[in-house]
Amino acid sequence: MSGTYPAHLVMRDIFMDFNGFQALSDLNLSVAKGELRCLIGPNGAGKTTALDLICGKVTPTSGEVSLDGMILNDLEEHEIARNGVGRKFQVPSVFRELTVRQNLDVAHCKRTGVWSNVVRFGRNAENDGLEKLAELVGLQDQLDTQASHLSHGQTQWLEISLLLAQDPEIILMDEPTAGMTRVETQKTANLFNKLRGSHTLVVVEHDMGFIKEIAEVISVMHQGKLLAEGSVSEIEQHPKVREAYLGSGGIAGA
Amino acid sequence: MSRRTAIQIGTYAIMCLAVLLVPTFVDDAFLLNKYSRYLVLGILALALSLSWGYTGILNLGQAVSFGLGSYCMAMALKLRTIPVHTGKAGLPDFMVWNNVTDLPWFWAPFHSLTFAITAGIAIPVILAALLGWFIFKGRVSGVYVAIITLAWLVVVNLLIVDQQRYTGGFNGITDLAQLELFGFEFDAYGSSSFYLIAITLTVCLFFALAVTKSKAGLIFQGIRDHEDRVRYFGYDVANFKIFAFSLSAAIAGVAGMLYTVVMEFASPTFLGVPLSLSVVIWVAVGGRGSLLGATLGAIIVTGMQGALSESETFLETWTLIMGFMFVMVVLFLPKGLAGAAERILDHIAGPVDAKGGVK
Repeated sequence: MSGTYPAHLVMRDIFMDFNGFQALSDLNLSVAKGELRCLIGPNGAGKTTALDLICGKVTPTSGEVSLDGMILNDLEEHEIARNGVGRKFQVPSVFRELTVRQNLDVAHCKRTGVWSNVVRFGRNAENDGLEKLAELVGLQDQLDTQASHLSHGQTQWLEISLLLAQDPEIILMDEPTAGMTRVETQKTANLFNKLRGSHTLVVVEHDMGFIKEIAEVISVMHQGKLLAEGSVSEIEQHPKVREAYLGSGGIAGA
Repeated sequence: MSRRTAIQIGTYAIMCLAVLLVPTFVDDAFLLNKYSRYLVLGILALALSLSWGYTGILNLGQAVSFGLGSYCMAMALKLRTIPVHTGKAGLPDFMVWNNVTDLPWFWAPFHSLTFAITAGIAIPVILAALLGWFIFKGRVSGVYVAIITLAWLVVVNLLIVDQQRYTGGFNGITDLAQLELFGFEFDAYGSSSFYLIAITLTVCLFFALAVTKSKAGLIFQGIRDHEDRVRYFGYDVANFKIFAFSLSAAIAGVAGMLYTVVMEFASPTFLGVPLSLSVVIWVAVGGRGSLLGATLGAIIVTGMQGALSESETFLETWTLIMGFMFVMVVLFLPKGLAGAAERILDHIAGPVDAKGGVK
C-alpha cells in the first residue's frame, strides 16, 4: 500500500545501545509521504525510542535516519524540527503557565531567530489563523484559559493543536489518546483521518480500537526489531505477532 | 491589545508617575538619597525578574553585572575629581598609595564619560553572553546554573579585591566627582539624581515590559515552563536564554552605574554574595513573574530593612522581623505580592477559569 507514495522518512539499519541494553537492533522502517503509519508492539519494544531517534532526542549507535534523503542523525533537535519533524510527547507537554492562545503563538514557529521575535507583537497576518486550530480541537472557548487549568484530555488536544500550529511535514505522535475518554478518542481518530495526506503521521498507540479507526499500514515492533508490517487484518493473522503477544490472544484481544 | 495588558500598562504608568512625584513632597536631602537608593535596587530586582521569573534562569550572580556597572561609573568619576585629592597627572589617590606611577592602560579610556557609560552596559553584557554561551550551549540547567553563577560571582569579587593597585581592593573607589551629564549636575543628595534614577527606572520597566510582551517574551516563558517543548518547535533554546541572560545583565549594569551616583563610591560589596542573594529574596517577595512586582519587592523590603534597623525599638529584633516576613510570604504568597494583586485584578477584569474562559 505504501508503494503508492514516494519514500519520505527512512530509518536504515538502526542500532541503539543504552549502556549495554540493546533498545533497537537492526531496525529498518520506511514511511511514505502523506502516510499515516501506526507503530505498535509490546512494552519495551522500542517504539518511543524509535520516535526519539527521529526527532533527535537520542542519536543512534549506528545506522541512519533520513528525511527526503537528508540525514538527520547529526543535526540538533531544533534543526531537525526546522526540517519538518514535529513531536508529540507521551506525557502531555504544554506551557502550563501560558494561555491556550499564547501556547499556540509559541508553537507557530515560522521564524525561529531571537531578534526577529523580539520585534514582533500581538496579532498579525502570520498568526491570524491560530484560533481556527483551537476550534479544530474544541478549545475555542478556552483561548484565554491558562493551560494548567485544562483537563487531561484537553491538554492532550492542546498539544496536538500545537503541532498543527507548528505545521511540520511529519508528526510523531506518542500515545496521543492516553487518558482520553471513549468520545475523546473517537474525536481524535476523526482528526487524524483529516490530517492524513496533508501530513505524514507516525502514531505509537496501545489502544487497538483507535488503531483500527485510523490504520492503513501497521508496523509491529518487538524487542527492538521490526516484526511485521501490513494492514490490520494481515497483522491480526500474522503468526509471529500472535507469538509476540502470547497470552493476550494476539492484538485482536489487546 | 487585551484588557489585561491595558490594565497592566496603566498600573505601570501610575506607579512610575507616583515615583516621579516623590520629590515634590520630600525635600529632606537625606531621605531623598535613601529613596534613590531603593529605586536603584528596584531596577536590579527587575533585571532578575526578567531572567528568573520569565525565563527560569536563577542567576545568583546578578551582582556581577551590578558591580561592574558600578565600577565603570566610579572609574570615570574618580578621574574627574579635583586634582587636590589625586596624585600627579590626575592619578587616583589609592594608586599613589600603592606605588603605581602611571595610569594603567585600561583606566585611560574612562576619561571619557561616554565610554564609561557604554562600558557600564557593554562589559556586563559581554561577560554574561560569554558565560551564558558556556552554560546554555552546554545544556546546563536548573540548580547547576545557580551554582555556576554564584561561583562566577565569587571569582569576580576575589579578582577585584585582589587587584588593589588598580581597583582599590577592599576599600573600593572612593572620593568621587559628581556626575555631570547634558549640562546637569547630579548631586547624590539632590532631586536631580532622584529624577535621573526615577526616569531610568521608568524606561527600564517599560522596555522590559515590551520585551516580555513580544513573541520572544512568550518564548522565554515557554522555556521556563517546558524547555524541551520549545526546542522541538525548532527554536534554538540556548540563544534565547543567552539573550535573556544578557539583557538582564545590561539592566543590572545600568542599575550599578546609578548606584555609584547615589552612594558616591564603588565597593566590592556591590558584587558581594550577600547583596546578590538579597536580590533573589526581594524578587521572591515582590513576585518573580511580574517586573513591577519585583521592583516594588526590592523597594518594600529594603525600605522596611532601613526603617526597622534605624528605629530604636527594633534595634535588636529587626532581622527577626524580616525573617518572619519572608517565611510568611513564602508560605502564603507563593507568587509574591504581585501574585496577590493579580488575584484581586482577576476579580475586576473577569476571572479566568477552566470552564468558561474569560467571563
